Amino acid sequence: MSDAAAGARALELVGLTRRFGDVVALDDVTFSVEAGQMVGFVGPNGAGKTTAMRIALGVLRPDAGEVRWLGRAVDAETRRRFGYMPEERGLYPKMRVLDQLVYLARLHGLEPEDARARAAAMVQALCVADRGGDRAESLSLGNQQRVQLAAALVHRPEVLVLDEPFSGLDPVGVDVLSEMLRGQADAGVPVVFSSHQLDLVERLCESVVMIDRGRVVASGRIGDLRAADPRRLVRVEVSGAGEEWIERVTGVRVTEPLPDGGIVELSDGVSGSDVLDAARAVGPVRHFSVVQPSLSEIFRRLVTR
Amino acid sequence: MNRERSLWPIVARREFVERARDRGFQVSTSITLVLLIGVIVISALFNRPTSFDLGVVGEGSDAIAQDVVVAAKALDIGLDVHELADTTAARRAVDAGDADAAIVDAQRIVVRASPPAQLVALIQAASLRQRSRQALVSSGLSVQEVDRALLQAPLPVDALQPVNAKRREAASVAFVGVLVLYGQLFAYGYWVASGVVEEKSSRVVEVLLATVRPSHLLRGKIFGIGLLGLAQLLLIGIVGFVAAKGVGTLDFPSEAIATLGLVLAWFVLGFFFYASLFAVAGSIVSRQEDLQTTMTPLTIVIVASFFIGISATSSPDSTLAVVASLLPFSSPLVMPTRIALGDATWWEIVASIVVSVGATAALIPVATKIYSRALLRSGRVRIRQVLRGREA
Repeated sequence: MSDAAAGARALELVGLTRRFGDVVALDDVTFSVEAGQMVGFVGPNGAGKTTAMRIALGVLRPDAGEVRWLGRAVDAETRRRFGYMPEERGLYPKMRVLDQLVYLARLHGLEPEDARARAAAMVQALCVADRGGDRAESLSLGNQQRVQLAAALVHRPEVLVLDEPFSGLDPVGVDVLSEMLRGQADAGVPVVFSSHQLDLVERLCESVVMIDRGRVVASGRIGDLRAADPRRLVRVEVSGAGEEWIERVTGVRVTEPLPDGGIVELSDGVSGSDVLDAARAVGPVRHFSVVQPSLSEIFRRLVTR
Repeated sequence: MNRERSLWPIVARREFVERARDRGFQVSTSITLVLLIGVIVISALFNRPTSFDLGVVGEGSDAIAQDVVVAAKALDIGLDVHELADTTAARRAVDAGDADAAIVDAQRIVVRASPPAQLVALIQAASLRQRSRQALVSSGLSVQEVDRALLQAPLPVDALQPVNAKRREAASVAFVGVLVLYGQLFAYGYWVASGVVEEKSSRVVEVLLATVRPSHLLRGKIFGIGLLGLAQLLLIGIVGFVAAKGVGTLDFPSEAIATLGLVLAWFVLGFFFYASLFAVAGSIVSRQEDLQTTMTPLTIVIVASFFIGISATSSPDSTLAVVASLLPFSSPLVMPTRIALGDATWWEIVASIVVSVGATAALIPVATKIYSRALLRSGRVRIRQVLRGREA
């Protein structure tokens, strides 16, 4: 994706660098999120995800690099049309839910009338309409999370940046949020969110950006990342054999142990049938397949720990 | 960028509305008003001008009573004379407390237990004058001669330390003003600090910073809270004025209004100064529990200024009061008193305002800098470190 092509409708982070004292939190981070795309932003703790998102929202300033939207460097005025959900959830504990949303909508530039209508519509859509007059602190954590999402969406953002939006949600909450984000992306909003739940990212996103120690280690469509993975992986299980035997097979490295076997990476010169032979020697083979590396496996390979 | 400029009033509006709607605020305001009215009414009861009820019965008593009325008036003592039917009625009236004393047949003064000394002295003097007059007239002198001899002008009184009623009232109004101003500066300054901590500890600040600049957030907070403080002060002032006027405590209402105006003006001056400092105190901690520690230096300064302010109501021209009325942190609590008591020269007033405004103008950028940089930091933030560091 060339700069010129992406310039049309995309959130671009270009060459972002940020230091905190001697720590380099971001080192020349570049990636873009196109309109209508949902991008997962993944990386280990402390990799720089939150810093990058804060910079995208103007909460922090970069030492170098810039953030662009529609091909232009964003200013405070543009950022007001972004929607943001920080990792550390934040609501005024003593303020009423509806007032809170109206206030935030006003800060994002909505006129009073519009702000009230949108706030009411948001609590309706997120099924917390009956709590609109309650103080935020009296809501359950799940409902506070919904209000937090409402706060990010209340002003019809043109861009959505969410830091760990799924953390702490129950499966139903995950589904509701997934659907809302999908809806936003389908409406043409670039959506980028960070998450440690890689299976979830794999399910929801077409593309990911992987970051480690402040550097982007991989980015692009998940399918392409898989195809680019040079490893050959095999999943093999032998009924009742336990998990020990697989460790003794020569020429493979276990990437993920399973109860009766595991997923192994084949070394050069070792073929799948070698592994199958080894398995047969142990007992009846219940499962044998060549597998695509999952996002978690790609992550483990690229992220040095 | 008009839109961006219009953000801080939205912040200010929230601060004002949310706090004014707070039940705690409404209750404490009501309590303040009730206390104020109570104090005014009680002090009016205690400071009521002396006044007596005098019963008269029998021949000659009334003449003495009229003489007492004239003499009492000269001493600014109120006197109501009640004609009573007979001695029994007079004794009953005195016993029931309807009359403080009764003159019976111009012969005898009836009182209840301990005689009201002032009243009895007046009656004694009047009766003495009456009897002397009768004695002299009956000894052959003409009425004119007797009157010329007896009706002498009282001796003039030369007070070495004359009581200035106007000044005394100004001092008490100023005293109340210092008291209220101290309370307002402290309470509303604390609100700024705890409001900053609330936003930090609830993490809502990060949501806000995605759309509002820290400097605008701070400005909105200070203006919103300050406006509420000013409104409450005005309400207290008006209620206090009306109550004092109602019970007749105020002899110089226009001076009281002027003092109220001074208090309002110096609240504005003092509030912006202190609010900036309180915002810093709030921004460098992440939990309400830690706020007390960072507020301690401010608390000490305000309390010390308060005591200087109180002492200034009795000695407004002391060196301490003069110096304190020029320093930005103490002038709000001292200068209004000195002006109200007429002890501040015009150049002192101008200097005080200039220093106050100048100090605040110099302080705000520094406070904003610390505030902006400390907002996203957690734990106890060191001011020096923040100032030396870089922007968020």
